[in-house]
Amino acid sequence: MNPLPLDPQNTRRDFLKKLSAASLAALMAKEPRAFANSAVIHPKATADSCILLWMAGGMAAPETFDPKGYETYEVGKPVSKVLSTFPAIDTTADGVKISAGLPNLAKVMDRATLIRSHVLADLGAILHSRHQYHWHTGYVPPQTVAAPHLGAWMARVLGPRNSVIPAFINIGQRLEGVGESEELKSFTTAGFFGAEFGPMNLPFPEEAARAVRPPKGMEGGRFENRYRAYRELIDRNPNRDYLSDYQQESMLRSMENAQRLLGAKERGAFDLTLEPKESFAKYDTSRFGRGCLLARRLVESGARFIEVTTEYVPFLNWDTHNNGHAVLERMHKEIDAPIAQLILDLEARGLLDRTLVIIASEFSRDMLIEGTKGNVLKAGADMPKDDTLREPKHYGLHRHFTGGSSAVMFGGGMKRGFLYGETAPERPLVAIKDPVSITDLHATIFTAMGISPKTVYDIENRPFYATVDGLGKPVRELFA
Amino acid sequence: MPFFPVRSQLALVVVALLQPAAAPAIDFAHDVVPILRERCADCHTGDKKKGGFSMNSRGDLLAGSENGKMVVAGKSAESKLVELLTTSDADSQMPPSDAKQKRLSAEKVAVVRAWIDEGAKWQDGFAFKKPSYEPPLKPRRPELPAVVDGRAHPIDRILDAYLAQHGKPRPQPLDDAAFARRVHLDLIGLLPEPAALEKFLADPAPDKRTRLVQSLLGRDVDYAEHWLTFWNDLLRNDYSRVGFGPGTGAPVTRWLYNALLTNKPYDQFVRELIAPPTPESAGFSAGLAWRGTVSASQTREVQFAQSMGQAFLGINMKCASCHDSFIDRWKLSEAYGLAAIYATQPVKIARCDKETGAVAKAAWIFPELGDVKADAPQPERLKQLAALMTHEENGRFTRTIVNRLWHRLMGRGIVHPVDAMQTEPWSADLLDFLAVQFRQDGCDLRKALELICTSQAYQSRAVVRQKDDNTGAYVFSGPRGKRMTAEQFIDAVWTLTGTAPERIDAPLLRGFVSPEVVKNTRIEAQWIWQGEEPAENAGEGGAAAAAEAAAKPNLVALDKTPDATPTAARPSRVKIRNAKNKLVLRQKLDLPDAPVSSVGVWGQDVGGVNFLVNGAQYQNDRQLIRSRGVTTLDFKNGLRKGANEILVAIDKPAGKTSPPGFALQIQMTMRDGTTALIGTDATWEWSPDLPTEKAQINGPEAKDAQWFPVAVVPAKPRHEQVRQPMIEALAHASQPQPPARASLMKSDLLQRALGRPNREQIVSMRPEDLTTLEALDLANGDALGNALAAGAKKLATRNWDSPGALTGWIYRAALARPPSPDELTTARQLLGEKPTEPGVQDLLWAVCMLPEFQIIR
Repeated sequence: MNPLPLDPQNTRRDFLKKLSAASLAALMAKEPRAFANSAVIHPKATADSCILLWMAGGMAAPETFDPKGYETYEVGKPVSKVLSTFPAIDTTADGVKISAGLPNLAKVMDRATLIRSHVLADLGAILHSRHQYHWHTGYVPPQTVAAPHLGAWMARVLGPRNSVIPAFINIGQRLEGVGESEELKSFTTAGFFGAEFGPMNLPFPEEAARAVRPPKGMEGGRFENRYRAYRELIDRNPNRDYLSDYQQESMLRSMENAQRLLGAKERGAFDLTLEPKESFAKYDTSRFGRGCLLARRLVESGARFIEVTTEYVPFLNWDTHNNGHAVLERMHKEIDAPIAQLILDLEARGLLDRTLVIIASEFSRDMLIEGTKGNVLKAGADMPKDDTLREPKHYGLHRHFTGGSSAVMFGGGMKRGFLYGETAPERPLVAIKDPVSITDLHATIFTAMGISPKTVYDIENRPFYATVDGLGKPVRELFA
Repeated sequence: MPFFPVRSQLALVVVALLQPAAAPAIDFAHDVVPILRERCADCHTGDKKKGGFSMNSRGDLLAGSENGKMVVAGKSAESKLVELLTTSDADSQMPPSDAKQKRLSAEKVAVVRAWIDEGAKWQDGFAFKKPSYEPPLKPRRPELPAVVDGRAHPIDRILDAYLAQHGKPRPQPLDDAAFARRVHLDLIGLLPEPAALEKFLADPAPDKRTRLVQSLLGRDVDYAEHWLTFWNDLLRNDYSRVGFGPGTGAPVTRWLYNALLTNKPYDQFVRELIAPPTPESAGFSAGLAWRGTVSASQTREVQFAQSMGQAFLGINMKCASCHDSFIDRWKLSEAYGLAAIYATQPVKIARCDKETGAVAKAAWIFPELGDVKADAPQPERLKQLAALMTHEENGRFTRTIVNRLWHRLMGRGIVHPVDAMQTEPWSADLLDFLAVQFRQDGCDLRKALELICTSQAYQSRAVVRQKDDNTGAYVFSGPRGKRMTAEQFIDAVWTLTGTAPERIDAPLLRGFVSPEVVKNTRIEAQWIWQGEEPAENAGEGGAAAAAEAAAKPNLVALDKTPDATPTAARPSRVKIRNAKNKLVLRQKLDLPDAPVSSVGVWGQDVGGVNFLVNGAQYQNDRQLIRSRGVTTLDFKNGLRKGANEILVAIDKPAGKTSPPGFALQIQMTMRDGTTALIGTDATWEWSPDLPTEKAQINGPEAKDAQWFPVAVVPAKPRHEQVRQPMIEALAHASQPQPPARASLMKSDLLQRALGRPNREQIVSMRPEDLTTLEALDLANGDALGNALAAGAKKLATRNWDSPGALTGWIYRAALARPPSPDELTTARQLLGEKPTEPGVQDLLWAVCMLPEFQIIR
């Protein structure tokens, strides 16, 4: 498949000219407007597409991108000695080490900007979905209006790159039948922007093709025929008055767009069975790995914002509450090859320069400390009573830690082989240099995508900013 | 425009100002107004009150901002305004550092100083902008215009005069069929049944429309289950919803359902929500709590202020709960005054999340009507608030609700948006009339709906919408079409295809229970409890064990439950806590045949109960309905032919209590219509442990070694108390249930795709337009596709005289009209000579996708 030409200056205005997938309702929606009488000037974009690789459940930085204080498992060893359960390995970036178990990522770290000083807010009693809400919207729940997801901002301000590929695609997370699903839904949304800018949810990458395929049994022209009959019934409606009704027009326009997407050649991008076997195998480590492959194919076809999640299910995946070391051996395997391959594939296709790839998580983890405030919890199913390792299940980072976390960015105008920020050498591993908040990280992402962090929309006569109060400051040092 | 005296020597004045000793009088109109207009007016006049400060009028100017006085007349040196105009602090300076307005030159500052020093004189009656509209509080009965052309309905008298005054023609009348479809969907949320529609069309009586309205409003269950959607949105109530941690309000579902079913007067309805007489209606006021710390503007007390304001008064307190509102008159102190009514602890006022040091004093926002006693205990304060909210003289309260109803029926509010009740109505007479009439009718919601639906205004054709008709001044010219809600759409599809699910999600027994059925229902169950304690387990119970068990749950996973829907690709595992202080009760029974239906009720005076029938677990709200100390459970097909095992795992109360009891009565309806009863009695067995392996729970090979005979407990007064509720619940649960309604289901992909909100926030208006992603779900989503396929299967097997007859049925059922010859031709091409399932399915799809179907006109 030929990738679409990437238009470095693709702006919402161009998109509007094309009158593409947005419905009339969306086109009618108010443009962002300035508050405090200062004009919002969008920065020049350094990226056209964005892929967020979401490590849901709390990815322990010391076990991934900020290894330190490695200790082997030994019965009777004090827990306080252990910062990491994996040794560090060299990477292609000078002086940057990451955890053993991530050998493929180690090979592409020379393309990465690694932030080791990402600081998450302390929201009191730690609740994953609440921190995830904060990370994805930039706002701490609850909010008096429904806050839009980062992807919804991209959809709202930038629109789709390709009129038949939805602007905001969310891969790998079920919203039904998993713990905290109501909380997940509350931020996996366009919020007050309205459904037009909401996510297309594809929880299972291998089933994504179904989402854009005519329904089953619609082969042999039946699907087209159904639509033709539908249009004919509208044209033949004896009541002629409402043919010019605006609400009706808007509805028909959306139906037309859906029909177009379901018949467009680009929908092949959603179909992983079309990927060559050899290439498929490189990504086929897990649902997340296949999600990375789907993301690559969609970016090639002109997707705007894609999130790929290691699915959040309480106590699964990165949410390690016992046996942390063993679980992370698996998580390393799941993410290592696919992410590295994604970067290499984007690079080989000439897309990496204009595609911003971000690895992030709602917080880091620690063996002893809960939150940031030195809140040491004793005992529990995952913690030996006398603070020494007794069983293998004690060996791992089982506490939530918000004081210092890692985020990685590739491409999209970011520096290559660049290290930013630092955490303390000893517990607590808080960021001690160049802290980067969610607000500023969002400002960085928005800026790279050509969206001013001060972008503001009116809701209920009140301003709602892309970053809280419009105060997000992009981290300039990260840009190449 | 205010008139100012001409002045010709401005230049001289400025020169003079530079020599203070000789300062002549400052002319407000020519010296001061231009400065303020140019540099300050954008943010501080008209309806703009940045920082809570307006200089629209002299009164506003002197009232100051949320930070206190801005201007001290006669004393420029003490006036904060001057300080802000001259400060070099970029954060506090005025105009702000990022504003397009330039700062004031020294000369201009000197003018302002001099003006203040001279007493900040003002032109009489001058305001920068027309003062923003301030809605009246008190109710008002407008004088009705004369009847014209025999149109005597009070709404028509008002609107006919209104239209004449605005030079607009009356909207065209609606034909009977379109009226019937609209009024069905509006009042009960369902399409008219084809047979009933025919009967209505054939009825020559002139009052048939009024009778139809009344008969629809008399369909208690249909009415309640339709309006539940509206109220669930407004009261952010749902069957699964965000909210963690203690404090989140319990759903008010059962209370709300019964309030709608019995048409509880709206004033009483609101009083019960504000000052709940039972816990069933407490959830709305209690708000929504997330675990962890939340911002000051989202504590549950402040949520209370916001909810009271928005839901019942159309006031947006969200601004004022952070700082004095920039957009209306509400102040931070007023939002916190409401919050303090609910609070049980002193509430510290916080501005933009920073405490001001002040403590909120409980206060009502319209002191004209009275106030709450700030030092009364919380339940008293809530009662006082409830009384003030629903006070006869609180016209804002009645105007807000009738405006919402008008919006639902007519497509646009008289005040719009409906939560911005500070906005000027397009017809104050209409709004005020509806409000006083509503009060006069005893705050009867159905009467208010009847009043609107019987007007000629309602019974007119929907206007053709224009692209920009949501902006600019609105002039009424007829009702607007309304997009079907997700619930209306899904109900309509279920009706057309006969595919409504058997089970609802809402924890409700629907409709009324028939007294006849109650009379014929028996409870034979006895109260039982564990018998003699086996020696090896003695001493294991008690508080210490309970605490330990709670801290270290031993989870037993069960792979399937009867609730696992076949479409769920990956059912989640159900877990049951096998704590050590369980009392497990068991009964084994052989059934000659599988019952057609079986329901159970139990009473208990102990903690949590887990229920396992043949290894399948019943525990969530969908399956257990709790009310009045009784829990009701619909087993559906949990009991089967042959051997059955019923296990009841009860969390034993910690510590010493008098011996509790448990009584369960199951009523089965067999294939031949007979009923059979199983109740707890001496034949039950008990064990201190739940079998720990799944196989042991499931199979007849479960270890029997630990089972002991139960003891029958003599019924105590508290047991006798739940006897009647048990009988009523069992009778109610065994009544046949009508087909499910979408409003009673948890939100799913399709409902969300069609605009059902998450209900974390109050929602009073849903999106009007279908989006592309929604259209995608309609074009290829499974939920709709499956329903249409099932419906097509049923329809295709019926004996139709011709494809045209089938098309005719679909058109009548879906659109309440016959197809035109052209439409028949198209349908026939789709169906073929002999309608096939795919053909019928595609025609159903095409009809359901018509704007005529989805937009209620």
